[in-house]
Amino acid sequence: MKTNLIRIGAALGAVLIAAPALAQDLTFWSWRQEDRAAYEQFIDTFEAANPGITVKFETFEAANYNTILSTALAGGVGPDVMMVRAYGGLENVASAGYLEPLTTESVPALAEFAAPAVAAESMRSDGTIYAVPFASQTQLVIYNKAIFDANGLAEPQSWDELVTASQTLKDAGVIPFANGTATAWQNETVTFGLGSSLMGKAFYDELMAGTADFTDARFTDALAAVNEVAQDYFPDGFIGLDYPSAQQLFSSGMAGMFIGGSYEMATFKAQNPDIELGVFAAPGKTAEDAKLVGLYFDGGYAANAAGANKEASIKFLNYLASKEFGQAFANTLSNISTIPGVSFDNPLLAEVNELNKSSIPYLMLAHFRYGEPSGSVLIQSEMQKLFAGETTPEAIGEALTTGLAAWYAPFQK
Amino acid sequence: MPHLRMTGRGLWITALIVPPLAFVAVFIVYPIFSAFAYAFFDWQGLRRGEFVGFDNFFTVLFVEPYRSWTINAFSHNIVVFFALMVLQNGLGFILAYALWRELPGARFHRIAVFLPVVLSTIIVAYLFKLFLHPLFGVVNVSLKGIGLGWLAQPWLGQSDTALWSLIAAQSWHMVGFPTLVFLAGMQRIPGEILDAVRMETESEWVKISKVVWPLVAPSATIVFTLLFVGAFNWFELPYIMAGLDGSPFGSTDVLGLYFYRTAFGNVSSGQQDFGLGSALAVLIFVFIAVIAGIITVRLRAREIQL
Amino acid sequence: MSAAGTTYYDRRGLLGTLGRDGLLQIILIANTILMLAPIVIMVFSAFKTTPQIFQSPFGIPDFGQVANFAKIWTETNFLRYLLNSFFVTGASMVLILTLGTMAAYAIGRYQFSGASFILMFFLAGLTLPLKLAIIPLFMLMRDLSILNNQLSLIFVYTAMGLPTTVFIMTGFIRTLPSELEDAARMDGASEARIMWSIMLPLVRPAMVIAGIQNVVPIWNDFFFPLVFIQNDDLKTLPQGLTTFMGEYTTDWGVLFSGLTLSAAPIVILYIVLSRQFIAGMTSGAVK
Repeated sequence: MKTNLIRIGAALGAVLIAAPALAQDLTFWSWRQEDRAAYEQFIDTFEAANPGITVKFETFEAANYNTILSTALAGGVGPDVMMVRAYGGLENVASAGYLEPLTTESVPALAEFAAPAVAAESMRSDGTIYAVPFASQTQLVIYNKAIFDANGLAEPQSWDELVTASQTLKDAGVIPFANGTATAWQNETVTFGLGSSLMGKAFYDELMAGTADFTDARFTDALAAVNEVAQDYFPDGFIGLDYPSAQQLFSSGMAGMFIGGSYEMATFKAQNPDIELGVFAAPGKTAEDAKLVGLYFDGGYAANAAGANKEASIKFLNYLASKEFGQAFANTLSNISTIPGVSFDNPLLAEVNELNKSSIPYLMLAHFRYGEPSGSVLIQSEMQKLFAGETTPEAIGEALTTGLAAWYAPFQK
Repeated sequence: MPHLRMTGRGLWITALIVPPLAFVAVFIVYPIFSAFAYAFFDWQGLRRGEFVGFDNFFTVLFVEPYRSWTINAFSHNIVVFFALMVLQNGLGFILAYALWRELPGARFHRIAVFLPVVLSTIIVAYLFKLFLHPLFGVVNVSLKGIGLGWLAQPWLGQSDTALWSLIAAQSWHMVGFPTLVFLAGMQRIPGEILDAVRMETESEWVKISKVVWPLVAPSATIVFTLLFVGAFNWFELPYIMAGLDGSPFGSTDVLGLYFYRTAFGNVSSGQQDFGLGSALAVLIFVFIAVIAGIITVRLRAREIQL
Repeated sequence: MSAAGTTYYDRRGLLGTLGRDGLLQIILIANTILMLAPIVIMVFSAFKTTPQIFQSPFGIPDFGQVANFAKIWTETNFLRYLLNSFFVTGASMVLILTLGTMAAYAIGRYQFSGASFILMFFLAGLTLPLKLAIIPLFMLMRDLSILNNQLSLIFVYTAMGLPTTVFIMTGFIRTLPSELEDAARMDGASEARIMWSIMLPLVRPAMVIAGIQNVVPIWNDFFFPLVFIQNDDLKTLPQGLTTFMGEYTTDWGVLFSGLTLSAAPIVILYIVLSRQFIAGMTSGAVK
């Protein structure tokens, strides 16, 4: 009886949702709901050049995208082409064998891509590439140019200058930093957007080489410095301030700076078209220290290994890896395309692209999201504790190192 | 299925009973049994791996970091349960007692106290989140307005106020429910009993503790059980007000959030693990069933005894 | 209310009664203010601009200023969510009441072996927290290919609503007199005919109670859509509200009017039918 019911239900469901699939009809899934119009345009361009192939663009909510995608793939109803995340998020999907492996033969343009971008879309174990990376994001400081000008401020070159500039704003009745940390993931953004230069490239290299861990003074001192700035120059009650409210404080001109990703710029512009934005990499201790931004890759385009139209899918991927597409992508979506040779009309974007030349990876996302507990979960809750005065930077270093040792071999002693 | 003789009447009864039974079987009984089965397997994403016995249970109970996460979330559920017991059921009893007197305006008060109960938890959660906003929320704005600015807090950002803010919102939302259940119980107390007690004592307290309370005890049993199940299932309100991570630093994490996070993953940890999630679900489920059973049996015993 | 209670209290000294009643009245008034204030602030704020909300949260607004509502009407998917909620809730209610009455009628009106076992089977579903079975349910919906389809919600809500409905309806149907039924049977009416034309009209009051008991949690549910529904056009109101709140964080006037609009249907219904609502929603706990 039960099986029958399931069958009837399935048939009913199938009738309701099934759309007749034609031979060269590609479905393309994405979590970028806000980019639909732009993607429809890209697809028109592709379809014009490739008669006989049509692409249907479908979007899903970002927060649940991974769940939806892996469900669909496991159930054999996945899309032909899809956006996938990078790093640990990619491995989740790729390790199950759902994605078509890519090579420089099937997608020749991949040979020209920057190594870290390709690595973000590959399996760590064997280096197989599974997706064409589409954008990089940069964690840095965004500032309100009008407010900086009105207070005679310039982009700070050293940590002291950053503190002085913040104090000037505070004295002038402007909130120096709009950030709030009630939303967990914002803690990670604040930590690395502000602290990357203090941690420094040498720390990063040693950490990767396994000769340093998070108890390193360069790391814990950076956390302490970030905390001091937060206590003095974030809004009153910032530990109870959620992410959207923080964005609102900045875009409405009540605050001078916002520590965040390059993805914020479009949001601020949309919230307040008159706002004039500037960006800088948070400085190190002295003006001589390298100014580093936190850099990571958002995700990539992948093809379904079990798709019915693989040939057409690969053709479409080749288009998504082309310079023509990268240029259109950068121009319409104001994102840093990872495709080599793309130029940026938008001066702000060009500036971010310049800053990217001096960067370290956005640490936890790029390297510590491959097991439980993830570095991101740890740093987020530990920083919330620090901001609330319930832990110390040294204790955080300890907690991160021992916590990650659960699955991160170099920390297991 | 019970064995039926397939006469015309038997067919008729079967036709009546099978469709509803099928719904309950497919969408309640089968999933709950499956949840138990799932917990004994290793899962890669949505693909069931091999049988691993009690490994998943062992992991969530004894292996770090899950162990601390489990304990942390569980301890918060306990706090929530006892706090709501006082704030929601205790207050509900007092309000019911007040309403019972049928003082002028009682009908209006009764409608008012139950009004929040019909609202969606999501609406309540957002409403209180806006009220508790550190800069613009009505709570802090009014505190500053009446010269009590030093009392203004980032309510949802501090570990010592966040959980209590959620509890307050929850009590506001649901206090009407026990109130009206208790009231219905009190209204059913026969007048003769009250008269008899009136002869023996003047003390209000004795009346409440010896007569009113025992006689509404059957309602109390159900209200307690429902509160218990609700407190250990708590999800929507913390999800909206504190986020999936139980911000700040897990100080509002409860089993519902923890279970959801483990099973379906969140932004900061792409991992989703149906095996561990199912193990958690089974543990919560068994815990709820056992304790709810004990509450019912114990309180029922008291009812009879009196 | 009970006359007995009144006699009992009347014997008390006038002064004592006044003092005690005064205290109780104060408790009630304070509580009512506490209950209504958040709702009043919400409704007031819905008619204000964001700066007005920040500056005078308690001020009485100009109720003619409906810019916030206009914005919701024209710019958001709100109406879609509302219609979806009506559809999902309506379809679930039809199924619950139909199937629930069928089962209750069979159990309550006929003697057959296994009847009590079947009733127990339904009752077992009464207090089970189905949220905890969300993983298997998710897989089940996937296998039925109704993830991201409102059928998944309708089916789960129906299953969840059946135990209470069967419980309430069976109790009621058992109390109905059997004379009419027997007379009709003598006249040779079929069982279906008896149920449809004679018994069903009598069970309407119980259907109202069972209906209200189920309609509120279904209308308000957030958890199952959160897991099952991803497509924005299919979202129900509570879930759509999260999308909407995320998009308009900067505009508190719009946020409050969104909350007000979402609350309005059920609150209005409640105010009109408060007696039935209270009876319906507490019917599982009152006995």
